[in-house]
Amino acid sequence: MAFGFKRTIQSKGPDRFIINLRDDLREVIAAVCEDVLGALDDEGAPNRDPMLRRVFPVAHTSDESVNEAYRDLVQSDLLRTRREALERVAASANDAELDRATLETWMIGLNTVRLVLGTRLDVSEDGFPQLEPDDPELPAWALYEFLGVFVGMVVDALARTA
Amino acid sequence: MTQPKAADVAPIEIDEPSIDTNLDVDRPWIVLVWNDPINLMSYVTYVLQKVFGYSRDKAESLMLDVHEKGRAVVSNGSKEKAELDVFRLHEHGLWATMQQD
Repeated sequence: MAFGFKRTIQSKGPDRFIINLRDDLREVIAAVCEDVLGALDDEGAPNRDPMLRRVFPVAHTSDESVNEAYRDLVQSDLLRTRREALERVAASANDAELDRATLETWMIGLNTVRLVLGTRLDVSEDGFPQLEPDDPELPAWALYEFLGVFVGMVVDALARTA
Repeated sequence: MTQPKAADVAPIEIDEPSIDTNLDVDRPWIVLVWNDPINLMSYVTYVLQKVFGYSRDKAESLMLDVHEKGRAVVSNGSKEKAELDVFRLHEHGLWATMQQD
């Protein structure tokens, strides 16, 4: 018996990918990008919001002069490219087909969302915790798991056509 | 063709730059990627291939070092190169740092 499942991301060569994703999941993808964009709304956010520490890591483990020079050099670029990636994912969330550059942007943009959400959930190597069905954190964990599975599919589609 | 006259090749005094043995500007910098519980293993491998042009085997072996040993040296070079490499890894959400070797 064939269930008719399609691969979520079908590659048609290295530069054309068909996205088989339900509309409600596409809405989720656009919404989470908008959420993180809201947290990146000003130049000071990377230094202020502890939930963004994995999106804007320090460049040196101990030398604050290296960190300061690095921040001065790249932080505004890093903020701008994060924002552009998230905006591009949100804008193309309903596209049936993506080219390679856009799919790579989905990979980076949705990984940025995972970094912020995973930081909020205080994710550890132990993975998914035991939660009661009415735990208020359950939807956030479900979203984190969905994004992990989906980003994994994006990476696989890119890697097998690289 | 002419030969230089003796006067033309008289030694000229040159200010030799003094060599400061404490100067370590030439010591290379290394770029490290650290283990984190969020980035997928396949993602880290793909990013190392894309950013550095490493083969899949090399990228995978570096990723496994990060995963098993907690960190791996992924590139090295001048301070400027290390800064650029760290920036490109940060653009992809990897936890990268630089330090002088």
